[in-house]
Amino acid sequence: MKNFPVGDLLRRPESGAFLGLVFVLVFFVVFGSVEFLKPAGAASWLNVAANLGIVAIPVGLLMISGELDISIGAMIPAGALTVAIISGYYGLPIWLGVVGSLTLGLVVGLINGFLVIRTAVPSLIVTLGTLFAVQGLILGCSVFLTGTTSVALSPAQSGAVAKALFGQFIGGSFQVTIIWWMVLTVIYVFYVHYSPFGSWLFALGGDKVSARNAGIPTDKLTVTLFVLSSVSAAFLGMCQAILFNVAQVSAGMTFIFNSIIAVVVGGVLLTGGFGSVIGIFLGTITFAIVNQGIYFTSFDRNWSSLIIGVMLLLAVLMNNTFRIMALTYSPKKK
Amino acid sequence: MGILKHFCAALLATTVVSFAAPAVYAANIAVVGGKNDDAFWNIIKKGVDDARVIVEANGGTVNYLRLQTYDNFAPDVVQLIQTAISQKVDGLVIPNWVPEGEDPAIKEAISAGIKVILMNAGGYEKAQELGAINYVGSDEYIAGVAGGEYFSKNGKKNVLCVNTVPGAANLEARCKGVIDGITKAGGAAKQLPLPATSFGDATAVAEAIKATLLQDASIDGVITISAGDADSAAIGVLQAGKTETVLLGTFDLNQSGLDRIKDGTQGFAIDQQPYLQSLLAVTLLASAIDFGTDLPTAPVLTGPGIVDKSNIEATLTGVSKGAR
Repeated sequence: MKNFPVGDLLRRPESGAFLGLVFVLVFFVVFGSVEFLKPAGAASWLNVAANLGIVAIPVGLLMISGELDISIGAMIPAGALTVAIISGYYGLPIWLGVVGSLTLGLVVGLINGFLVIRTAVPSLIVTLGTLFAVQGLILGCSVFLTGTTSVALSPAQSGAVAKALFGQFIGGSFQVTIIWWMVLTVIYVFYVHYSPFGSWLFALGGDKVSARNAGIPTDKLTVTLFVLSSVSAAFLGMCQAILFNVAQVSAGMTFIFNSIIAVVVGGVLLTGGFGSVIGIFLGTITFAIVNQGIYFTSFDRNWSSLIIGVMLLLAVLMNNTFRIMALTYSPKKK
Repeated sequence: MGILKHFCAALLATTVVSFAAPAVYAANIAVVGGKNDDAFWNIIKKGVDDARVIVEANGGTVNYLRLQTYDNFAPDVVQLIQTAISQKVDGLVIPNWVPEGEDPAIKEAISAGIKVILMNAGGYEKAQELGAINYVGSDEYIAGVAGGEYFSKNGKKNVLCVNTVPGAANLEARCKGVIDGITKAGGAAKQLPLPATSFGDATAVAEAIKATLLQDASIDGVITISAGDADSAAIGVLQAGKTETVLLGTFDLNQSGLDRIKDGTQGFAIDQQPYLQSLLAVTLLASAIDFGTDLPTAPVLTGPGIVDKSNIEATLTGVSKGAR
């Protein structure tokens, strides 16, 4: 351990993600302005990152374990509509709306988890099914109960406490979801990288059969991960409804793609077994910067999507190079 | 499980409606509409349902055919037209969203003896070209111009038209109308196209608008192409600290937008009054088939209707009944 530690640092799973982040940050500071790093500018990408990050981490953990959950695209509006219908349309206490929202997340997560472990159907297909089913359910319920697909939840109905906890702007521009995201990230880092849960997770993603033979409760773990992603999505939807004072049936679908992109940019392998929470965290920030950075540049806005695509591709390539370096490295013999 | 019961009831109701069989000879009408979770098309449905009462009173039927997704758009719409032809309906109410794809199928329907009214999208010239009897709907461009003029009348000089689905012809026409409307009145406007990765992500849309407002301090008006985007825009404007100075407007309505108009944090909303589109299109068509009536007013424009503080109360009543 006398070596200069740069090599070891570069070979950590998240180093590629970190370099990708630095790359896009430099790009937008050079082509945009330093405004981007000042509080008002930083809020612009931190808010987007926090929203995405709350679902991206559990989605990433599922991907590490070799599964996928795309039903989050429906769970986000489902969480939002549940709280808006219960507390906004019917005017019941906000805590009931919050509990209702999270309970729905729990139920859908359990359904996803049990379907995946009880049947041999790939989780992509199972969650594709629940994606449409939940979408249909919330649409049907929303139209049947309220007669509309966009349900308002006024600040007065949310109340000061819920507004402060889930839907306030700290310092006038930072969404409170940023704090939730940070706290959740710390908790995830602890569980994934410093507890048996984490080792089980990677073992599960590496080789499911061996993991089970080694005595890892693979079924319980899988169900837990699906519940986590589903509840997180419902939680995010709930925060959005309280923050924007409205819930819409059609929102949320972009989160499916965006979260997978953030996770992959963060260095998780699509095939599972490799990745890190910090990597996903950095990947999420990278995605948010690329998505929002464009507004701080003078590029014609019609080129936005092109620039986003190219930047993300570069970030992933950078990341890939470093992962290959890390995985093929063998220390010199002494 | 109360929710489950409600859900099943809703499901049953729609199934029963779509299988209702014709009893005696009278106008059997098919209406093609957009996706279920699209708020707009549920208001259209309310118009269809109300028109159905009249059609059924005369012994006819109305069948509302809806797209399941927008992913395979043109082929799916054509498929619905074919379905209507094969059901041997007497009349077809159809939005002409994708002329290249739909035109041949609509012509086929007309040559099969089906009377057609274009609704919501297409325009009167298209209706004449195809041989449809009328066009019922709004004109996106005219609606945009009305929006631009509204800004100008309220002393606004530099307007941003936020487009979350750049490239969609009708939405581009809305923004173009706004730009032309205010330019004619001596102001200026430009479009802000947002990338696809922001669509449906309220925070990303809000932050994009905030950043743009901070970059260009001369912007004193913001208009969004859909009611949902206005919810995000309201937060974006608030975040930029410009709720007092920037006038926010939007195309289309929803409850939260109307709440903002009521308490003054949003200026106005431009409504194409979808309820009127389906209500008028279906009843006009049924009357033409059953009784041979011919309405000389063409096109039948259902918008723009501007909702602002002056007519907010009546509008809210309409919303509570699912018609606005």
